[in-house]
Amino acid sequence: MAHPTQLGFQDAASPVMEELLHFHDHALMIVFLISTLVLYIIIAMVSTKLTNKYILDSQEIEIVWTILPAVILVLIALPSLRILYLMDEINDPHLTIKAMGHQWYWSYEYTDYENLGFDSYMVPTQDLAPGQFRLLETDHRMVVPMESPVRILVSAEDVLHSWAVPSLGVKMDAVPGRLNQTAFIASRPGVFYGQCSEICGANHSFMPIVVEAVPLEHFENWSSLMLEDA
Amino acid sequence: MTDEGGKNQGMKVMGILDIQNTPCARESILHGAGGSLVAGLVHFLATSRVKRSFDVGVAGFMLTTLGSWFYCRFNNAKLRVQQRMIQDGIKNKVIYEGTNLDPTQKKTGDQ
Repeated sequence: MAHPTQLGFQDAASPVMEELLHFHDHALMIVFLISTLVLYIIIAMVSTKLTNKYILDSQEIEIVWTILPAVILVLIALPSLRILYLMDEINDPHLTIKAMGHQWYWSYEYTDYENLGFDSYMVPTQDLAPGQFRLLETDHRMVVPMESPVRILVSAEDVLHSWAVPSLGVKMDAVPGRLNQTAFIASRPGVFYGQCSEICGANHSFMPIVVEAVPLEHFENWSSLMLEDA
Repeated sequence: MTDEGGKNQGMKVMGILDIQNTPCARESILHGAGGSLVAGLVHFLATSRVKRSFDVGVAGFMLTTLGSWFYCRFNNAKLRVQQRMIQDGIKNKVIYEGTNLDPTQKKTGDQ
């Protein structure tokens, strides 16, 4: 999860997010080199005593500063497109979950085998137990089996919402009347937090998402318990 | 304040590039620094032009850093693919051992 004064991404919990992190490192290194070059040129321009008022054209430098940016853009675009298509792959999900956005909570439906559905409200600050995270905890978590492809169908019942979990590399708009699909694989067990990412009214900041990835047998036990309680 | 997974607060070059926690970053910057020094020094020794040698040094830094970065990241990506394949292979072996889906069993069965 996020920690105070954090600037970078959260640790990746899915293969797609790992790839996104690597691509980010790649793009940042290129940005760093360009920034270094520009800084050097600024210092050189400011500190030079040379002035030439009669330059009319200069073919060589024009060729360099046309071709070089094009090459840099290609070096950034190729891995970017690779990840873009990687993120669109849906590889035979083991489980499908519907995430419905409401004002101001999420509801989850597991309807592959039985009809399991529940609402997920934020735990108010005054009701937090010691060690729990303010504005991030929910009363019911969306539990998924780890290392299994999971498909999420996202929609909304009233206004626009957005279902986002940064450490899984997932964000999908919840549009009323539309069904959007996304998928992820949780590569390790853990609890992953997210927040609604589309302005949806007064309590937009208070409808978090909590995904708990557990081994398959724990997931089966949890779903049995939830069905009994329902 | 605790950091995620015990990571150190990395050193950020120019405030953006976290050298300690980004794979290959530290090696690339060090190679770049070395390449810059060598290129600038050689040019100066050959031409005795200070300013132009600095320009050559900066160009050398950029090219060496970029080259080292791409080479290291490419190898890193290959290792990650191999690691994932090995992980999947171990998982499949544990799951399918003793069943008719066991890949090792298929090979002995063909003999």
